[in-house]
Amino acid sequence: MKKTPLPIPRISLLWLLVAQVLVILPHLFHLPVWIGGLWLVCATWRIQVFRQRTNYPGGLTKAFMLIAAAAGVYASRGSLMGLDAGVALLVSTFLLKLVELKTRRDALVLVFLGFFTVLTSYLFDDGLPAALYSLLPVTALLAALIGLQQSGLSDKPWPTLRLAGSLLLQAVPLMLVLFVLFPRLGPLWSVPMPGTGGSRGLAESMTPGDIAELSQSSALAFRASFAGPIPPRRDLYWRALTFEQFDGRRWSQLDEMTRSRPDWRPEGPSLSYSIVMQASGQPWLFALDTATTDLEHTRQMGDFRLQRRRPVDQSLLYSVTSWPQARREVQGSPRLDVALQLPDHGNPRARQWAAELKARHGGDPQGLVDDLLGHFAREEYYYTLKPPLAGEDTVDHFLFDTRRGFCAHYAGAMTFVLRAAGIPARVVAGYQGGEVNPAGNYVQVNQFDAHAWVEYWLPGHGWISADPTFQVAPTRIEQGLQQALPAEDTFLADAPLSPLRYRHVEWLNQLRLSWDNLNYTWQRKVLGYQGAEQLKLLESWFGNVDPARIGMILLACLGLLFGGLALVLLKPWKRPHDPLLRQYRRFERLLARQGVRRGAGEGPLAFAERAALALPGQAAEIRAFAQRFAHQRYADAAADPAALRRLLGRLRRQLPWRPWWRTGNASAGVRGG
Amino acid sequence: MSSRLFASRRERWLAKRIPPARQVRLDQRRIFILPTREGLLFGVALLVMLLAAINYQNSLAYGLTFLLLSLGLITILHTWRNLAGLQLAAGEAPPVFAGEQACFRVRLQSSGRAHSGIALGWPPAALQRLDVAADGSGEVELFLPAGQRGWLRAPRLRVESRFPLGLLVAWSWVDLDLAALVYPRPVSGELPPAGGVGEDDDEPGSAAQRSGVDDFQGLRPWQSGDSRRRLHWKAWSRGQGLLVKDFTELHSHDLWLDFDSLGGDREARLSLLCHWVVHLTAHGQPFGLRLPGVSRPPALGGAQRDLCLRDLALFGLPAAAQGRQP
Amino acid sequence: MRTQLESCLAAVNQVLLGKDRQVRLALACLLARGHLLLEDLPGMGKTTLSHALARVLGLSYQRIQFTSDLLPGDILGTSVFNRDNGQFIFHPGPIFAELVLADEINRATPKSQSALLEAMEERQVTIEGATRPLPEPFFVIATQNPVSQGGTFALPESQLDRFLMRISLGYPARAAEKALLLGEARRDLLPRLEPVLDHAALARIQAEVPGIHASEAVIDYVLRLVEATRSQPAFALGLSPRGSLALLAAARAWAMLAGRDYVIPEDVQAVLPAVAGHRLRDAADPAGHGGGALVQWLLREVTPF
Repeated sequence: MKKTPLPIPRISLLWLLVAQVLVILPHLFHLPVWIGGLWLVCATWRIQVFRQRTNYPGGLTKAFMLIAAAAGVYASRGSLMGLDAGVALLVSTFLLKLVELKTRRDALVLVFLGFFTVLTSYLFDDGLPAALYSLLPVTALLAALIGLQQSGLSDKPWPTLRLAGSLLLQAVPLMLVLFVLFPRLGPLWSVPMPGTGGSRGLAESMTPGDIAELSQSSALAFRASFAGPIPPRRDLYWRALTFEQFDGRRWSQLDEMTRSRPDWRPEGPSLSYSIVMQASGQPWLFALDTATTDLEHTRQMGDFRLQRRRPVDQSLLYSVTSWPQARREVQGSPRLDVALQLPDHGNPRARQWAAELKARHGGDPQGLVDDLLGHFAREEYYYTLKPPLAGEDTVDHFLFDTRRGFCAHYAGAMTFVLRAAGIPARVVAGYQGGEVNPAGNYVQVNQFDAHAWVEYWLPGHGWISADPTFQVAPTRIEQGLQQALPAEDTFLADAPLSPLRYRHVEWLNQLRLSWDNLNYTWQRKVLGYQGAEQLKLLESWFGNVDPARIGMILLACLGLLFGGLALVLLKPWKRPHDPLLRQYRRFERLLARQGVRRGAGEGPLAFAERAALALPGQAAEIRAFAQRFAHQRYADAAADPAALRRLLGRLRRQLPWRPWWRTGNASAGVRGG
Repeated sequence: MSSRLFASRRERWLAKRIPPARQVRLDQRRIFILPTREGLLFGVALLVMLLAAINYQNSLAYGLTFLLLSLGLITILHTWRNLAGLQLAAGEAPPVFAGEQACFRVRLQSSGRAHSGIALGWPPAALQRLDVAADGSGEVELFLPAGQRGWLRAPRLRVESRFPLGLLVAWSWVDLDLAALVYPRPVSGELPPAGGVGEDDDEPGSAAQRSGVDDFQGLRPWQSGDSRRRLHWKAWSRGQGLLVKDFTELHSHDLWLDFDSLGGDREARLSLLCHWVVHLTAHGQPFGLRLPGVSRPPALGGAQRDLCLRDLALFGLPAAAQGRQP
Repeated sequence: MRTQLESCLAAVNQVLLGKDRQVRLALACLLARGHLLLEDLPGMGKTTLSHALARVLGLSYQRIQFTSDLLPGDILGTSVFNRDNGQFIFHPGPIFAELVLADEINRATPKSQSALLEAMEERQVTIEGATRPLPEPFFVIATQNPVSQGGTFALPESQLDRFLMRISLGYPARAAEKALLLGEARRDLLPRLEPVLDHAALARIQAEVPGIHASEAVIDYVLRLVEATRSQPAFALGLSPRGSLALLAAARAWAMLAGRDYVIPEDVQAVLPAVAGHRLRDAADPAGHGGGALVQWLLREVTPF
């Protein structure tokens, strides 16, 4: 027999519409604009269908709408593949499904699609606000799901929502247990990642202007928590990558030379810390020199940076151990000649100055470096975010004409001069310093902390870092960019509302730091709760963590929580009977043990009379109980089960003890009509 | 063959577990619970979401998947609870004629908590849904086609609930001992003239009735439609208002519906008698009914009609089919 | 008050030996302002019971012998033209008494029966357009002979429903019958019975009956009983709402006679056969008098809890 499809109750439809808005809202930030229009069309259509002003779309219309949506996605994303286009298609389907929403099964599909769409929104934004917000669409979807089961009689939407909320609350403990204990697997196959508008942060090559541009960004780069005390700010040089090749204008990295493993020896004290970095779209990680990590698919490259096999597309948590005093490639390296590369022409004044320096210091390269650094400190050099435009020979122009520049200018110029003087050198790009958050005892590094410094090689010493910017603007290194540019007012000039600009307002700063701390904890404890972190936590809790054991613990915890919830929900101790009747049932059981059973239709006093005849020794107690019971139950008297219990106790003491399993045999003789 | 064997075994098992009773309280022994098709679909959706969480290594995706999974788990409790404690009681089942739909009333009583989206019925027919408020009660009317006369015993009743999420279905099969009396299908036809009065001559009462001419019975107020010739003019002249002389018409003989006087097979005769019982009652004419072994003296009214129809419904059926005697 | 009622019972029991329970039921019926149907063979003491009740309660008493030629006017009364003053004078019928014994009510035509029954229900009569109230209290004891069915008009259900109770006295026990044979004729004792209650006392007691407390538990029991009669297939006719009201009212009166100010299930059970017996119909019993077995089933199977 074919069942007629069940219509969708009004409340369910209402919550579906609400849920749809809530579901697609966070997606609107990265989806093409026309999706909003599509939603308006679909919702209006469906409401008109509900008001019986129009009909469901026909098959042709539906096909046309689907193709149009796909074409729209293709037009705005250039492809139908990839995560962005996929999500756009998913949201379009989610919207279009609304129009053909006819039966409860359709609604069910829509609700499940909605859950999945909520899930995809996490791929684009997994911050704490986004996570909290996503509870709204989930609750609304749940309300819609509940509404499907309600028998159309109720017309108030709020009780449904309340029920959805209470269900969610009850599910939270179980969810937490699953979240903590469910084993995390590595990715089963490679999946397209969200293209978040290209890479952010440091790029593969650098002109001085690039870093100046980064300095305008208050976006977060990464945060680092140290196992011990946080080292002083001036020592926090976070290496990202090195630039070894100079074409006269632009510094860039050499691919082939970064492949091989460098030669180095740990020496001196080590630093342990963990870093949560934001998605950068680039494969390199940030670390203090000289760093090792046990993150999967990550290795140290030839220029001592850490690099992952795949770009960092989502925020990433990794722990690092660094040896700041390690000696690096003391024996030299086959690639030192790369660190001497210079373009054939250009910057003649700089070359000439390098030749002079070399002549002056002869066989003392360290002296040459010191002289060079001293030069920056002694002469009139200025640190500014607004350097004058560079001419043809950028290095000459900066060194001898303008003498105003940013860290990239100083690092580039120094490397150029060192190379010209025959000392292997390279530009190191990364971040310097960061803001210590006292609430969470961690360092937060923003994009405006981007920095470039110099690394040069001396025989017998290996690679040594030097920072010319420190000579020019020590406050930049010791306090930060904002403090280094007090007069210029160029710090975050493009972002007047950024709370970072208002660090001098005490309460605002406190608020910002606390919020940041919350986000960091969220990232570390929740978002970073993947394979290694899980193992670490479980090991600290349970010691040995073989899968069978964890499985048992998981099941046991689930069972306990489930049982607890069952107790709370079902209240098995709460009998439907009233207390008087419960006492009477006990009375009946007591007498049944003596072989006197009440007939189904027998009244309380009649039964007592019969029992009193059968048990003449206890007649008085039996009658007393029955009289009191009848009086409490049928007269307008207050119920007093305690009194009944006392009378019952008196009767029990009078009766000969007889176990409950020997009750049947005596009953036949006494059982009355 | 094997399915029938299975069905009978299942029936016996159910009869032991949930014995027939006019009133049943659903408790843990009587409630079964399993995922619905929607629930399985939900499971598949969860699996897809879990795969996404694994591949994207996204903690929030894990979180949402686990939240929904936990919801699915606690729904077991809620769905079960929605049915547990519900009391079902058999209500009236008014008699019907064969070929009609027999209506069974079932009362649902809540003790303590509300029960939403309860569905009752006999699959594969569509189930009836209703809500029972906390400490309230509700009533449903369930219909079964009444095929042949006699007692129509309703099969085990399915009570189910998918509330709140529809992912699970909790159900029970209860036997509320529902039974409706099915009268024969009325078939109109001619009645043989003067359905045998003869053998009643020796009864003293009948003579009094047969000598009946129009007897003056008394006076009653005039109603429109009364014959003017019966107006009691004297009373009117005394100013007592319009009164009518009321005469009673005693029937010269009683009408007997006699099974043996009819032709045709048994069911056809019963159908014809059934038609006439209904017809005569509707026209206010007293009648008696005579079946082999049963004799109903002439009378008029709903009770007479009901009793005679009951005789017709149960006539010739084995005692077991005549319904359980209390 | 209790002593008054007890002495009423004792007085009637002197006249009607060994029928304590029936007398008590009859008195309960009267206290609950209901009418009584006595179903018995001739000579069982129906007349004695009603007459004794009338005397003990101080009620005026009338007996109407129902026959097939009895006309409504014979019961209710007629207007007779008085030649002397040219006026119609109303001669009240025998129904204008406080306790009316309607003997062998099933012998009269339905017309006459309904005249009586309508008067019972409405406690007033309308004759030739004029409405006259019946005395207060007004109590009808109708008797019916269950055996001789010839030429009788059995009361239809709708009319039976108007009697609060139907009881039958039954044969006396051996000891009672022996005492009957040994002693003087019981009817002779009747005139010697002294009224125990006056009208005011009776009215007061009757007014107190509805005040007897019936707890929800008892009402639930009554409901269960009524539901059983409506849902069990063996009951051809279930109890009407009037029937359930009657059951509770009778149980209240019975509780009062037992000296309690609240109703217990046993009270309901005590009056159930008398109150429900004639309202139930069992198809297995062609005469339609077979409520007895059904009532016994109710008493046995419907649980008071």
